[in-house]
Amino acid sequence: MNDIIVQMKNIVKVYPDGTVALRGVDLEVRRGEIHGLLGENGAGKTTLMKILSGLLRPTSGEIYIAGKRVHFKSASEALKHGIGMVHQHLALVPAFTAYENIILGLPSREASRKKIEKLMEETGLKVPLDALVEDLPFGVRQRIEIIKMLYRNVDILILDEPTTNLTPIETRELFHTLKELKKRGKTIIFITHKLREVLEVTDRITVLRRGRVVGRTETAKATPEMLAKMMVGREVVMKIEKKPAKPGEPVLIVKDLWVKNDLGEWAVKGLSFAVYSGEIFGIAGVEGNGQTELVEAITGLRRVEKGQVILMGKDVTNKSPGELYRLGLSHIPEDRHKLGLVLDMTVSENSILGIHRLKKFLGSLLNLKWGVIDRHARDIIERFEIVAPGTKAPARSLSGGNQQKLVVGRELSKSPRVIVAAQPTRGLDVAATEYIRKLLIKMRDEGKAVLLVSADLDEILQLSDRMAVMYEGEFMGIAKPEELTEERIGLMMGGYKMEQISSKTSPQPVESR
Amino acid sequence: MSELGMIIDIIEGTTYAMTPLVLAAVGEIFNERAGIVNIGLEGIMLLSGFMAVVAAEATLNPLVGVLAGIATGAFIGLIHGYITAYLKGDHIISGLGINLFALGGVAFGIEAVWGVRGYHTPPDAAKVPDIPVVNISPIFIAMILIAIGTHYLLYRTSMGLKVRAVGENPEAADVVGVNVERVQLLATIYGAALTGLAGAFLSIDWLTAITKELPAGRGFIALALVNFANWSPLLALGGGLLFGFFWTLGEWIKNMAAVKAVIPVTLMNTIPYIATLAVVAGLIGKSRPPRYVGRPYKRE
Amino acid sequence: MPGSRFWIVLKEELGRLAEILIAVLVGFVIAGILMWLGGYDPIAAYIAMFEFSFSDPYYLATTLSFAAPIMLTAITFAVGVRAGLFNIGAEGQLYMGALGAVIVASWALPGPLYLPLAIIVGSLMGAVWGLAAGLLKVYREVNEVVSTIMLNWIAFWVVEYARVYIYPNPIDASKTISMPPAGRLPILIKGTELSASLIVSLVFVGIAFYLLWYMVLGYEIRATGLNPSAARYGGINPKKAMLWAFIIGGIASGLAGVCEIAGRPPSYAITTGLSNLMGLGFDGITVSLLGANHPFGIIPAAIFIGALYSGARGMQIVTGVPLEMVKAVQGIIIIALAVPGIIRLIRSKIRRGGVKVV
Repeated sequence: MNDIIVQMKNIVKVYPDGTVALRGVDLEVRRGEIHGLLGENGAGKTTLMKILSGLLRPTSGEIYIAGKRVHFKSASEALKHGIGMVHQHLALVPAFTAYENIILGLPSREASRKKIEKLMEETGLKVPLDALVEDLPFGVRQRIEIIKMLYRNVDILILDEPTTNLTPIETRELFHTLKELKKRGKTIIFITHKLREVLEVTDRITVLRRGRVVGRTETAKATPEMLAKMMVGREVVMKIEKKPAKPGEPVLIVKDLWVKNDLGEWAVKGLSFAVYSGEIFGIAGVEGNGQTELVEAITGLRRVEKGQVILMGKDVTNKSPGELYRLGLSHIPEDRHKLGLVLDMTVSENSILGIHRLKKFLGSLLNLKWGVIDRHARDIIERFEIVAPGTKAPARSLSGGNQQKLVVGRELSKSPRVIVAAQPTRGLDVAATEYIRKLLIKMRDEGKAVLLVSADLDEILQLSDRMAVMYEGEFMGIAKPEELTEERIGLMMGGYKMEQISSKTSPQPVESR
Repeated sequence: MSELGMIIDIIEGTTYAMTPLVLAAVGEIFNERAGIVNIGLEGIMLLSGFMAVVAAEATLNPLVGVLAGIATGAFIGLIHGYITAYLKGDHIISGLGINLFALGGVAFGIEAVWGVRGYHTPPDAAKVPDIPVVNISPIFIAMILIAIGTHYLLYRTSMGLKVRAVGENPEAADVVGVNVERVQLLATIYGAALTGLAGAFLSIDWLTAITKELPAGRGFIALALVNFANWSPLLALGGGLLFGFFWTLGEWIKNMAAVKAVIPVTLMNTIPYIATLAVVAGLIGKSRPPRYVGRPYKRE
Repeated sequence: MPGSRFWIVLKEELGRLAEILIAVLVGFVIAGILMWLGGYDPIAAYIAMFEFSFSDPYYLATTLSFAAPIMLTAITFAVGVRAGLFNIGAEGQLYMGALGAVIVASWALPGPLYLPLAIIVGSLMGAVWGLAAGLLKVYREVNEVVSTIMLNWIAFWVVEYARVYIYPNPIDASKTISMPPAGRLPILIKGTELSASLIVSLVFVGIAFYLLWYMVLGYEIRATGLNPSAARYGGINPKKAMLWAFIIGGIASGLAGVCEIAGRPPSYAITTGLSNLMGLGFDGITVSLLGANHPFGIIPAAIFIGALYSGARGMQIVTGVPLEMVKAVQGIIIIALAVPGIIRLIRSKIRRGGVKVV
């Protein structure tokens, strides 16, 4: 009797754009266990599981299910083999009822309301079958997705960060369900970055970091400290010279800020902080904890529901991006393809996005002075060492690093007083990363205030003069990086408040709200 | 004319005016539910109307004409569906092409087949006969059955579930093994076939003529009706009744001697279009298109 | 290394040109089959078509005279596309522009005032017609495809009404009053239909190019069309940019209408059923798509479609193929243009012996 149900051997995944997501991962999951897959952003957890569930194909490596080699071409094939994945963004049709979602794609003779009701009865997963999914809270939707999988006789259930959008009560219910399913012989793979959860619910844990397995352990033998260290454990860290900060006035003040995400749920829950001129204030945290919404609210791209943003002493709450720019705000957005650049426009054209109505670029006919603009673009190219075929080349033709340098260059050419930089080095090679980080420090030394939001912990630790760790829309604590150990940061990223960690007693989980 | 006669006239007129609108709108609702936009309804009506006359006149059998209209619609649906669902082409541009092709193709065809410019009337034997006594077109009855049947298909069958899922969230459908492209193609063929029936109705039933202005914007009014009906076939039936009623009322009013003296018919002809605009403008926020409509679905 | 990416982009551009040529070829082949089915000789028809479009200065002049208005209506569609819109209302905007010119023609004015006033009134009326669709789009979320078609029909009946009831020609009932000779655009080549409307069109195409690529408004329009989120991030109001795109498009088509009244012999008026205006707006869509929605692509594309019309006259005389064949060809070309990467498709078909779609 083989009790290894999933075996993944030496899985490598290189994306078409050259990003290496997995560098030879081995994973073994036993039949009937809850297996935790733990890691930071970019560790490769989701990629690995998308491969297992047929959504992605590995570049190389082998997969065995119950000892048999499989090659999945689609998610529906994996589903036929009893493997189902519950994604962070659920694969449900919002305009359908729960029942319709569950039976979607099945021939009508296999759609039995009675059987679904029986399944709900047995597993304790209760959902209102005739309610529209879009009217249901996230927790219930997730249950629908799980029932959908179970109804299709899934044996191996993969859950990707399932608690991200759940309330604490819903989380407890989910864990109860998972344990129930385990009793019924189902195998569960649980992807998370939350230490408390992985300790509470799993049997065994595999820790991934940067596309490699860095640890395997029985949950019973694990401690949060040890897992935190494995998860964020530093490799060779780039050393960047940094003079001590000379902070001046608070130029960006955020007071009791409340912001909703696209689903209308609270993403930022009453944050208050200040950024001083001449300092870098870093916000760390696993992605999806409200950082995107926070940045968008500060930069005028998302509505502030409650609270205030004060820039250079003026209340700028819900002001437009154009007005904010005029008051001295620059924004290096996290998604340069969606926001930062118009890829099909030229380098020159992109070099003036947002400042295109500046007097120096305009002639008497409201015409753009391309001579001046090209010179401006060339200036940016030279000053920021951008490799580009020319100012008339489309931004699309630049490499990712050079595209980002173009965004950064443009934003800094606005001579801002406050710079909001979101994930400024994501997806960049080492040289470009180092370049941009040094630049941010230089800006700080010139007396500008920098708000740095990054999921890359190295970046936060290297650059920040003060830092906060964000978790579910709140700060777990604000401190100087040197006051924090890796272990403590890991604990905060996993949902422990700083005060709780500092006390000698064993950490208690936070209850948000 | 007696008042009763007038009322009967308007009711009869409404049954005619609403039929092509509802058929095309129900068809378009079906393919838009599957995520495919087809703005070529106007062109499909025109081409189908033409082919219906050709076939009905050649065989002197109106049923053959109706079938030819449906087949023509289905064939164009096949092309549009293949381009949009499989080749991931632009829905709007393909539809524009269909409209333009129809305009030229039918004008060409009228001259090529009958040797006349712009206008041809089929013989009586090619005309779809009314149901005796009540003076209603059998296609009107078919239209009602089709609208109800399509509604049932969309909301009460597993096929309909697939169609709607594909237009709302193709990824979710894909994951559970629905063949997204095939569903989209079939839905587009079905939708265009209904529009083809509408075209045949115009040319060998109601108007009994073929010109290159046969649809007179009805294809686009049907698009507006889709929106008005909030993508529901039954509401399209109700909305069509309303559109058809006002169209007929407008026709009736503009031909009244008292009105004619003040406002000429030419100017009154703008009414259906103005009314359509007013209706659509009043819909803001009240209707919701399928979430994934008009976008090519590409699997990662 | 950086150069190589640039070459990839260049290759893409050349590929697009090849795609357009293939679409044109597909259009001709399928139209040929239709002619053959209709009992005509397609080869003879195409030969006649070519002869009557370019073979001597007279035909060339006719070609250019047809190219002039559709250059302008193409600008309407192209500016819309640049703003991310499908403005197919050139037809109605052109009717309104023509009506504007006829209105001015009805006034008793000193001779030199006719033309400038006709241009102003006509383009304004076109602009208003375009703006109507724009306002409906921006403030009432009405899809511009539906609204512009409805506005086309409304314009048709309004202008037809005006033709019959307000501005009928006292001498010839089949048309409106004509533009007085003082207000007419001069004929460029004697004995042909080619008037200075070609120059007006070329100048306006130049202006549209300048506006789109050399003015801040064009920059905002293009940014909105290419990436509305980035435009908003860059302090641009996408709604405003869209409204301007409708207005500019309306001016272009309105001007086309004016040119048809002030610059097309023999009638210099609107004729029965708007027969001398009908279809010019929709031709602009083909021209714009063929010209890759770029002003400088639009000029050769308009000459190409103009040649089709000019040649189609010859085709009709020689082989009896109805003029309307040209529209059918256009339709097929557009459908073929809707298919992305038609070249890649053909290549993969050759390699694998069948069309395989990923």
